[in-house]
Amino acid sequence: MPDGSNGTRSGHALSLRSLSKHYGSLAAVDNVDLDIPHGSFLTLLGPSGSGKTTILMSIAGFVEPSGGQILLDDTDITRRPPDKRNFGMVFQGYALFPHMTVAENIWFPLKVRGISKSAAGDKIRAALELVQLGHLADRYPSQLSGGQQQRVALARALVFEPDLLLLDEPLSALDKKLRADLQWELKSLHQRLGTTFIYVTHDQEEALSMSDEIVILRDGKIEQQGGPGLLYEKPATRFVADFLGKSNFLTGKITEITADGFAYDVGGHSLVQDGKPAASLHDTVLVALRPEKISLSPDRSQMPNALQGRISAFNYFGAAYHFQIQTEGLGEVIATVPAWTCAIDPTVGGEIWLGWEPNASVTVRES
Amino acid sequence: MKKDPRVVFGRCMMLGLAWTVLAFLVVPMAIVVPVSFTDQYFLSLPKEGLSLQHYAAFFEKDIWISATLDSLIVAIASTICALFLGTLCAIGCWRLASNRAEMVRTFMLTPIIVPTIVQALAMYRFWIDLGIMDTYFGLILAHTLIAVPYVVVTVSSSLANFDVRLEQASRNLGGSTSQTIRWVIVPSIMPGILSGALFAFTISFDEIVVALFITSRNVYTLPKRIWDGIQDHLDPTIASIATMLIAITLALLLTELWARQRQRAKRTARIDIGGE
Repeated sequence: MPDGSNGTRSGHALSLRSLSKHYGSLAAVDNVDLDIPHGSFLTLLGPSGSGKTTILMSIAGFVEPSGGQILLDDTDITRRPPDKRNFGMVFQGYALFPHMTVAENIWFPLKVRGISKSAAGDKIRAALELVQLGHLADRYPSQLSGGQQQRVALARALVFEPDLLLLDEPLSALDKKLRADLQWELKSLHQRLGTTFIYVTHDQEEALSMSDEIVILRDGKIEQQGGPGLLYEKPATRFVADFLGKSNFLTGKITEITADGFAYDVGGHSLVQDGKPAASLHDTVLVALRPEKISLSPDRSQMPNALQGRISAFNYFGAAYHFQIQTEGLGEVIATVPAWTCAIDPTVGGEIWLGWEPNASVTVRES
Repeated sequence: MKKDPRVVFGRCMMLGLAWTVLAFLVVPMAIVVPVSFTDQYFLSLPKEGLSLQHYAAFFEKDIWISATLDSLIVAIASTICALFLGTLCAIGCWRLASNRAEMVRTFMLTPIIVPTIVQALAMYRFWIDLGIMDTYFGLILAHTLIAVPYVVVTVSSSLANFDVRLEQASRNLGGSTSQTIRWVIVPSIMPGILSGALFAFTISFDEIVVALFITSRNVYTLPKRIWDGIQDHLDPTIASIATMLIAITLALLLTELWARQRQRAKRTARIDIGGE
């Protein structure tokens, strides 16, 4: 039972083997191979239509795959009906039963397993305590706030000790502050229970803040997967660099290849970049540069990459300034600097210098 | 500012028309109330004074009581059968959500479209072959067939507003198909099922065409008894029965309104105390 005392209990592992789902000629999921280790917190991240929800619904058993297999600890469960899978799921919009109280909602998965309400009492109480809602057991879902409903859905999905917990954009209906609180709670819950969590979202901040592993999906295929830090710092493609955080993209021609990097030309500016390029001399190269890795200064920067620009617009966010800077050769560049150490005078039309280190940017593939 | 006389005239016309239509609908029904208190022995307005003798006649004469019982038995049984079949059919079609399911749902409406007299004739022929003429089973079966489409329609419209994720949640939490139907779907679509039940009961309770064709002496429902009563000698008991039926219907309607209002008040109260 999920009392949180047994953090060592490990969850189950799940594997997808060339999973596909076609709707007519459209491939919603296209030959996806994925191994989800036991006890991990894995996020499927992608824009709408990327296939993330279809994958989750296939795992839950609500979508029948057109091809491929789903394995739970090496057991094929592709054709197993949803009620025989023993996976907890938190739905988008929570899907609480409106005609049952909070306690009855949480009792439901135990009731269908033949456990009477009195016998289930301790488990129901423990599940409610787990999400800090012990005092609301007799309320109806319509009497609860969004955040409370979300917690009830979580307690209901965990009370029967599921092999996996599936979460379908569970925080999307909540306001920003509550969402941030629940991100902390979900993460600590995962650490205490050790259950494997599979989380679907289109919100890159949620993905970065909670996951052990992120899988970025695009048009039904896996674009890139890895830890949040790896994906953010070393995006493999333009899509990943653009979807996970923001990036400036510099397209240039390689002019020189050295032992630990290369030089490239963008609109007449000679720039340097660490690491081996995927292309050879005189070929086109695409470099992604995060806005927060650009330094702004009133005078010429001492950094190896430096160029001049003019502020065309800026926004103040309290913690940071976001600048749009018009440059010659590179076009419009966005830059983010901490507001309290901002070295330049934030005025539209101001002439400033941009600079960044050769290891600040990263080469990416076009697609 | 003075109102435009044309607007006032138009408004008066509209109100007058509305009230005329309403009166046209209600007055012929209301006339049975004074008639039921007549002191005469035929259908007429009271002459010398008011009398309850025709109400007494209803409760004293076996033919009226047994006819009422027959009607209740048939109506209740056919309502239960129609509810069971109609609800399952509606849930099945909703669950499949395919073109074929849509065809089934359209096909289910044929009993509403086909004239009752045609249906009655068909049943008459077929019921003879089945050997269920003039039996409770025969009439219950006929009324079930007539009522099922109404249940399918009301339950389907309830299901249209049912959140499919609730069904998925139930399945995901381990609920089998029958557990999901009993504990999640049916409670959620109760309003549709109840109005389907009301339709089924009312249809069976005042159905006469089919009853005239397929019953004779064994099963003798109230509408048929009234029909025969009018044929015989315009017995004012008919007016007293009609008055009682109107009273019961009104009482049911008011109870339903009251229950609905109370539920709405309860729901609003819930929202008021909700919130973190």
